[in-house]
Amino acid sequence: MNERPAPDDRLSAYLDGELDLAERQAVESYLAESAEWRVELEEVAWARDALRSLPVREAPPGFWDAALAPQLTEARARRARRVPRIAGLGAAAAAVAAVVTGALVVPSPDRVTPKVPAVADAHAVRASVSDDPVSRLATLSVVTPPRR
Amino acid sequence: MAGGVPTWEEVARDHGRFLYNVAYRLAGNDSDAQDLVQEALLRVRKGLERYQPGSLEGWLARIVTNVFLDEVRRRRRRPADALPDDPDWVLPPSPPADEVQTGLSDDVQAAINSLPNEFRTAVVLCDIADRPYEEIAEALGVPVGTVRSRIHRGRRLLRRALVNTGESA
Repeated sequence: MNERPAPDDRLSAYLDGELDLAERQAVESYLAESAEWRVELEEVAWARDALRSLPVREAPPGFWDAALAPQLTEARARRARRVPRIAGLGAAAAAVAAVVTGALVVPSPDRVTPKVPAVADAHAVRASVSDDPVSRLATLSVVTPPRR
Repeated sequence: MAGGVPTWEEVARDHGRFLYNVAYRLAGNDSDAQDLVQEALLRVRKGLERYQPGSLEGWLARIVTNVFLDEVRRRRRRPADALPDDPDWVLPPSPPADEVQTGLSDDVQAAINSLPNEFRTAVVLCDIADRPYEEIAEALGVPVGTVRSRIHRGRRLLRRALVNTGESA
């Protein structure tokens, strides 16, 4: 006598196209022979259809704005920070190089060493075109400090 | 989408609706679905660097399911919070009027809510998120045979619950 099992989980897998050929053929033969298998197939197919025909549930109005705004803001800020950081790294590297080569002295509040001759020269140039009395006095300073 | 890996904004914009729907079907109400989606989006942002281009919705469904299961475990550890299997949690006695949908959808959702979590996650991933069995098995960390069994039993339980509420075919 050919043993036929009780209907089982192969029926759902059959509906979902998840059986290999041998299993599918076995299920189809049981379905052809057994009302019990056919009834169960119909029942799980009905439940499956009920689930699959549910409408897409939409989020309540305003949810996405509230949910995404902080994260979007943060993500954009992170991207914005990334560019200056790269530029900042370049500037820092240049500054380090400049300090090492002695081309630039970074002033600190308690120790300022202005390049007096250069400043005076620049001022003298401006004074020659602006012709204001104070600037005319300033041009005298060009010769005052000794150049190093 | 550079190199097949989407940005976080693209994920949120293009797949947020999918994410919310799966979250709602798992949680059974808008309030918990919103919490699940918020947490899932955080995990998406953290995980995007490791994301391997493939089934994006499969990946998202897996994340939101894990968030759901983590929340179930968290509530279980805190007895003050109702459990998802507790009817008071899954079937609020009087939902706000704006959450009430038309008859059959509500009954089907109530039937989903009545399923034990292992069956609920399996049928939601299969019939709502439309994921193949192998992906569901990976997401839930169980063999494919277990997924097959859970989906079948879940559908049978769901049908029985619907018959009991008078929504038989």
